[in-house]
Amino acid sequence: MDDHLKKLENESIYIFRQSYKSIKNIAMLWSLGKDSNVMMWLAFKAFLGKVPFPVVHVDTEKKFKEMYEFRDKYEKKWKLDLIKGDCPPIGEVDPSLPPAARSAARKTEGLKRILDEHKFKGVIAGIRRDEQGTRAKERVFSPRDESGTWDVKNQPPEFWDQSNFNYPDSVHIRIHPLLGWTEIDIWRYIKDQNIPIVDLYFSKNGKRYRSLGDKDITFPVDSDAKTLEEIIDELQITKTSERAGRAMDHEQEDVFERLRTSGYM
Amino acid sequence: MKNIQIPRVVIVGHVDHGKSSFIGRLMYDLGHVPKEKFNEIKEVSDNRGMEFEFAFLLDALQDERNQGITIDTTQIFFKTKKRNYIFIDAPGHKEFIKNMITGASSADIAFLIVDVHEGIKEQTKKHAYLLKLLGLTNVIVLYNKMDKIDYNHQIFLSVKNDLEDYLKKININIHDSIPISAKHGDNISKNSTSIPWYKGKNVIRVLDNYSLEKSTISNSLRFPVQDIYKIGDKRVIIGRIESGRIRKDDELLFLPSNQTVRVKSLEAWPEAKDTYSEGDCIGFTLSDQIFVDVGNIAAKVETPPKLMNRFEANLFWLSSLKLKLNQKYKFKINTGEYSVIVKEVKKIIDTDNLDSKSSKNVLKNDICEVVIHSSQLIPMDDFTVNQKTGRFCLLDNSGIVAGGILNLKNYPDQRESSENLNKNIVAEEFFINEIDRSMMLKHRPGIIWLTGLSGSGKSTIAKAVEKKLFLENFSVFTLDGDNLRLGLNKGLSFTPEDRTENIRRTAEVAKLFSQAGFIVIVSLISPYRSERRKARDVRPEIFRLIYTKASVDECSKRDVKGLYAKAKTGEIKNFTGISSPYEEPETPDLIIDTISDSVEQSVSKLYKFIKKEFSFS
Repeated sequence: MDDHLKKLENESIYIFRQSYKSIKNIAMLWSLGKDSNVMMWLAFKAFLGKVPFPVVHVDTEKKFKEMYEFRDKYEKKWKLDLIKGDCPPIGEVDPSLPPAARSAARKTEGLKRILDEHKFKGVIAGIRRDEQGTRAKERVFSPRDESGTWDVKNQPPEFWDQSNFNYPDSVHIRIHPLLGWTEIDIWRYIKDQNIPIVDLYFSKNGKRYRSLGDKDITFPVDSDAKTLEEIIDELQITKTSERAGRAMDHEQEDVFERLRTSGYM
Repeated sequence: MKNIQIPRVVIVGHVDHGKSSFIGRLMYDLGHVPKEKFNEIKEVSDNRGMEFEFAFLLDALQDERNQGITIDTTQIFFKTKKRNYIFIDAPGHKEFIKNMITGASSADIAFLIVDVHEGIKEQTKKHAYLLKLLGLTNVIVLYNKMDKIDYNHQIFLSVKNDLEDYLKKININIHDSIPISAKHGDNISKNSTSIPWYKGKNVIRVLDNYSLEKSTISNSLRFPVQDIYKIGDKRVIIGRIESGRIRKDDELLFLPSNQTVRVKSLEAWPEAKDTYSEGDCIGFTLSDQIFVDVGNIAAKVETPPKLMNRFEANLFWLSSLKLKLNQKYKFKINTGEYSVIVKEVKKIIDTDNLDSKSSKNVLKNDICEVVIHSSQLIPMDDFTVNQKTGRFCLLDNSGIVAGGILNLKNYPDQRESSENLNKNIVAEEFFINEIDRSMMLKHRPGIIWLTGLSGSGKSTIAKAVEKKLFLENFSVFTLDGDNLRLGLNKGLSFTPEDRTENIRRTAEVAKLFSQAGFIVIVSLISPYRSERRKARDVRPEIFRLIYTKASVDECSKRDVKGLYAKAKTGEIKNFTGISSPYEEPETPDLIIDTISDSVEQSVSKLYKFIKKEFSFS
């Protein structure tokens, strides 16, 4: 492993261990995508071979068949304490959002329900700064109020690996161990460590998925990359952004910020 | 592919001097702006009736676009022909200093940007000074908006002279000075034809040639304990190496307990390496079961950190509440958490002219020099010796209120004094040690030292708490001052000398009980600070000072034993509070105010405190 990946790996492990030590009752989101499998792998490293807290899959029931198969296989293989959470019908979601974003917001609602039910005080999520402009502004430990709201204009200071963990009981903390990783880092780490992923990421008939979400609002991109090496090569020259295939991002200028401030990952 | 470095680069400077525009331009020149993104920004700029605004590439938040300023720090990834970079954009507006620090604290390289048209402003200087406190002392200066002064050499030189003057005074080295225009792309990725008098390198070439220095001067091992995992039969010490390296069989000195022990095995998943070094998050087991706690630091015996309870620091204050002297703050250094007070503000630095401000009120965004007192011994290094173990945060109930760097020159290292082993007596080793006992007892040993006036409630609280804990299967025992005077301490009077001996004996007995695995509650007036400090030094890592607070008036009103009445008539001499002084604790670990709190509340406070501090979680 090269020094850069080693550094990222160490940073993530430190965050995992700090969360486990400092926040009682935490859980990790497992979206079944490439990033969340890298996150799982890092958790194994942080806790020496087992994940010591529950893993949550917020199920929109609109994921690809391959993703559900993957989930069922690795839930057993990795001995996960898996919580499957469901999402409310679309009718219960903020009607002022554009259609694809409205669909994505179901997941926020599903997550809120799980938080309420299990009283989690910390939720580990695999977002990265390079994915999207507002995610670039995130903290590693990001407090959310009761309704999941992200107070983006007044984020707490965070430096020298020091953060505040002392919040009122109604607040939960979003923990972001992959914040400093880029898409290409993720792929190079998957290759280096031989981490299992869903094969929708590999090209079939000239198309592959670069990012996986609900199947009705996620589209494949043009690509001939059939192996990890080819994906890494492709990413070095591509000019399209990772989330180009995610319809919800492109409906309105501020839609992602609106989704995120109200609790979306 | 080995040894690739990805430097983290921060851009700081006054608001609107062009930090975000500079990064936007750089991204564009390096071909990092996807077509769709360029179109999106163009549309956004058009919607607002503006020229194409490079800053919008970074200023993703709606408020940022509407106000045209950066609110929070952001990070972008860059690639030149030579290497990759992570760029950190930090807000320049003074309202957002905490965000600037959040961004800049992780950087390897710093750009200071100044608008040559506007000249040096308040935040130019403040940011420069903060860079120094963050340890970023080799700075690249960008003179932006050269187009606005028609690329005039003289104006450039006058701004440059002023800034260099200032930077020299605060000991910041200038790595390079580059005249640029972010808007027009002058000297960013290619040398500008509009600035023929500039013979230096453009920004990209300067960056690519910048060699990364190590953040720490010292290679001495520093391993702060982050956690302890129990995996099967193994007790795995968890943490990150901040400097130095660790191998199997290395002998480690743990502080503050001053115990040495060997690394028995290194533990990792799927498998461990033989050697780990700076930055590695690791786990290992120990050859002997000694007490290791979160926040302890492991070092090599020859090169330990200092153990301090009084020290100086340079602080940057971030809270909107002003700094309060003698009020408890939480002090977080590496993985350790301690309770401290700020004893003195030596000076507040006016970053504009580098003079001391006349006021001693530390307000939001002030930079100051302070003296800090802690009741516990804290392992630490001077910032100039090791940056990683020489910096800290202060927190109050609302979160982080300040960051600071340590200056340990003016106060003594307490390590020698706590190493008071008699060289001619070698302690006998026994088969069953403290850790075996505490594993069986399911809690850690502790010394809970209650100090306070006669009648302040020490014994009442001690008795009730002892009972509560006993019913929960805690091994707990109370040493009561009056009872001890009937036996062990019989014959000791109430003169200062005898009080000192009384406390010394009691502390030693408490130590023995703690070694047997007990939580010992000591109920003793113990009126002198110096003596309480000695008692703490017997076992600083498990000693907790509890102050049962009640006024002399209140205690003499209670006067359960009729002692105050006798003291007032002179029948009892040297009575604390009446004819002998009581020195209030400066930094108790817990205060129980027995006037405002009922007996039940007081008992519950101490009970919860002990459970929190000494239960295995």
